[in-house]
Amino acid sequence: MLQYIFKRFLLSLPALWLLVTLVFLLSRLLTGTPGEEQILQDGGGFYSKGSTASREKAYISYLERTGQNLPLFYFTIKATPEPDTLHLVHPEAHRTFLKQLHWQYGNPVAVNRYFTSIKNLEQALGTAHKNHFQPYFESLYQTTSPEIIKQALASFPKVVSNASINTEVAEWEAAGENLIQEQNTYTYLLPSFRWHGTANQYHIWFINALQGDMGISFRDSRPVNTILYDAMANTWWLILISIIVAFMISFELGMLLAMPQSIKLRKLLLPSLFIIDSIPLFLLALLLLVLLATPSFLQLFPVFGLGYHTMQGGSWLQRIGILSQYMALPAICLTLSNIPYLTSLIYRSFSEESKKDYARTAKAKGFSERQVIRTQLLRNTLLPTITVLSEALPALVAGAIVVETIFAIPGMGRLLVDAVLARDYPVIVAIVLVVAVFRVVLYLLADVGYSLADPRIRHAAS
Amino acid sequence: MIQLLTGFKQLWHEKLAFKIAASYMLLLLALVLALPVLPIAYSPNELDLHYTFARPLTKGSDAWHWLGTDVLGRDVWANILYGARSAMMISFPVMLFSTVLGLVAGTSAGFFGNNSLKVSRAAALVSVLSLSAIFYYALYLPLSLHSTDLPLKYTWLSLLFLLLILLVLHKALLPLLKKWRFAEVQLSLPLDYLVLRLTEAFTSIPRLLLILALASFLQPSVVLLSIIFAATFWTSTARLARAEMLKIKQLPYFEAAQSIGVPRMQLLARHALPNMLGPVVVTFTFGLAGLLALESTLSFLGIGVPGTFVSWGRTIAGIRSNTSAWWLVVFPGIALAATVWALQTISYHLLNYFGERK
Repeated sequence: MLQYIFKRFLLSLPALWLLVTLVFLLSRLLTGTPGEEQILQDGGGFYSKGSTASREKAYISYLERTGQNLPLFYFTIKATPEPDTLHLVHPEAHRTFLKQLHWQYGNPVAVNRYFTSIKNLEQALGTAHKNHFQPYFESLYQTTSPEIIKQALASFPKVVSNASINTEVAEWEAAGENLIQEQNTYTYLLPSFRWHGTANQYHIWFINALQGDMGISFRDSRPVNTILYDAMANTWWLILISIIVAFMISFELGMLLAMPQSIKLRKLLLPSLFIIDSIPLFLLALLLLVLLATPSFLQLFPVFGLGYHTMQGGSWLQRIGILSQYMALPAICLTLSNIPYLTSLIYRSFSEESKKDYARTAKAKGFSERQVIRTQLLRNTLLPTITVLSEALPALVAGAIVVETIFAIPGMGRLLVDAVLARDYPVIVAIVLVVAVFRVVLYLLADVGYSLADPRIRHAAS
Repeated sequence: MIQLLTGFKQLWHEKLAFKIAASYMLLLLALVLALPVLPIAYSPNELDLHYTFARPLTKGSDAWHWLGTDVLGRDVWANILYGARSAMMISFPVMLFSTVLGLVAGTSAGFFGNNSLKVSRAAALVSVLSLSAIFYYALYLPLSLHSTDLPLKYTWLSLLFLLLILLVLHKALLPLLKKWRFAEVQLSLPLDYLVLRLTEAFTSIPRLLLILALASFLQPSVVLLSIIFAATFWTSTARLARAEMLKIKQLPYFEAAQSIGVPRMQLLARHALPNMLGPVVVTFTFGLAGLLALESTLSFLGIGVPGTFVSWGRTIAGIRSNTSAWWLVVFPGIALAATVWALQTISYHLLNYFGERK
């Protein structure tokens, strides 16, 4: 048995690894550098007072703090002119300019010399001339074609006559000439392979994740573990309560429907369950919210949050009392959305069991329908529902995302939506990983439960 | 195909719910197609700022707001009609595409299994090399060249280069390798294992979670969102097609066709695919319903779609700024729930019909 479970566990690992790796790599590949916008913002904001140089410093230190200065994976295959450390160049305009230069001229040494010479020239001009020359430099930072660079080289000396920057101007002119002469445009046709070793983002993230450390949130620099832990507690209760209530109601309904005399009930209940099933969860939650928690209709429940502000002090009993008021409506939504599926499944399972011989025997012995269902069929229909339980929990997680957002409950789902809106990738990747691991564990538990309940399966497995 | 049509006909005559659902869908389709010529006073993104949160049956600045307006004075009736169009424009192409994708993956996994697709080492090497060349010269380079504003001639050059490389690989390297005995050894491709692991990876977390995560990596855009949908929805069709294929493989008529030497492609296209059409149509309609619900959920959360995208979910989201504006939930909500219900009913009855026939 143990061997079987271990084997199942090992078999589920490749898919888990594939998913998480895919999500991690995509989260870094498809996006720019998150956090850059805040640092770059010109109007207002904390960073806006500093100069360009200090902003560049803040940017680099931000990259280093979050580990984003390292290469993404063990190796990169890029076109030869594409430089490796491009993401370390600060203002984004310069980055695109540098990239264009590299692709256009294909000669990294000459391109770097030219780029540094422009930067040095700009610095040497100092703040006094800055306003006067700014448009000129702005156009210079966008010029990549050889003809226009030649024109710029020719026209610059007329614009400025300042002895103190002669060396920089000379260097710039020389670098420009060199760039145009030494250009090597067609190198882009050759791919180049670069090996980075273990000092890369993926390796570090993976090793840390194996040790249970999910990194640091981009948004507020708190450890992701702490954030997740806080959020998980709320979601856990919501899901647990909903699944238990939904199961109890579905079982009662399923048993009621399975009775032969409840034809009318079947005709009424099955279509209405079907209709409830076709209402998307967010709509169901909003309908309940409008009906039961707004002043214009009925205000039976508090609307938003978990009422932390009213919970200062008080015994744990009082706290649970307040908490349950806030939890009631979200839990009702989740329960209601899961009942149709569960009920129809349990009903089908009951009606299948009732066709079997032992059910007929029980009836022949004089048990009433009710007794047959409660005492004879119940145990056997409980079995398949164990697998249903492990199937229903992921659906509950998806439901929790929606319900928590609507009712403003600080749980995992809301955390995910907030993280998505703020592009806080470590948190997103961590949530994906946690939910995937949760599901693997759940499947294993379902396996164990199943084989404990039905000895035939245990023998088949071993 | 004929079997499917007779199924539709029979269900139409026998089941009232199916009739209602099918006629609702046809009506919706007709409305969506006739949208450009319908006399609608407001366009869905037109702001009527004097009449924000107008109750139903209010006279606006141009015409009546039959079903009220939202926070910016956008007409709810126009938004419902145009929202139906957006919903269909996303869900039909996505579902078609992912069904094709799932059919290809599922049938080939079921048909070839782990052992019967065999290639020689030489052919495997050459195809890996040509695939990576195609990826580099036809995808990566043009995209990079586009982002660096280099002239178009560089792209043409890279495509020309690709052609040259492919020619060399297939006309020179492949015949050369074939002379070497080591390269002649046949490898079997574990297609079934690969497809199974891939579907498992995609389904090991709730779909909504995966889509939210993927959508956060991209800019909000309808096309990109559709790609994400297609990339996550193919798994159910693939599973079904694989199971059906395994069943069909055991059937006598299929074995007979195999034994008289019908070519593989014809075997799949003429003998296997028509037989699994029914279940595929069922998953198609069921997937449409799921897609509709998912799209409106994402629009409601405001994730993955631009703010100008007209959708039932966007209109419903208006309730969050004013919880007493019930008309923002009720009318688009009815449209959404009715459409999902209709699609689910159609798929449910079709499923029963095909189940009974077997």
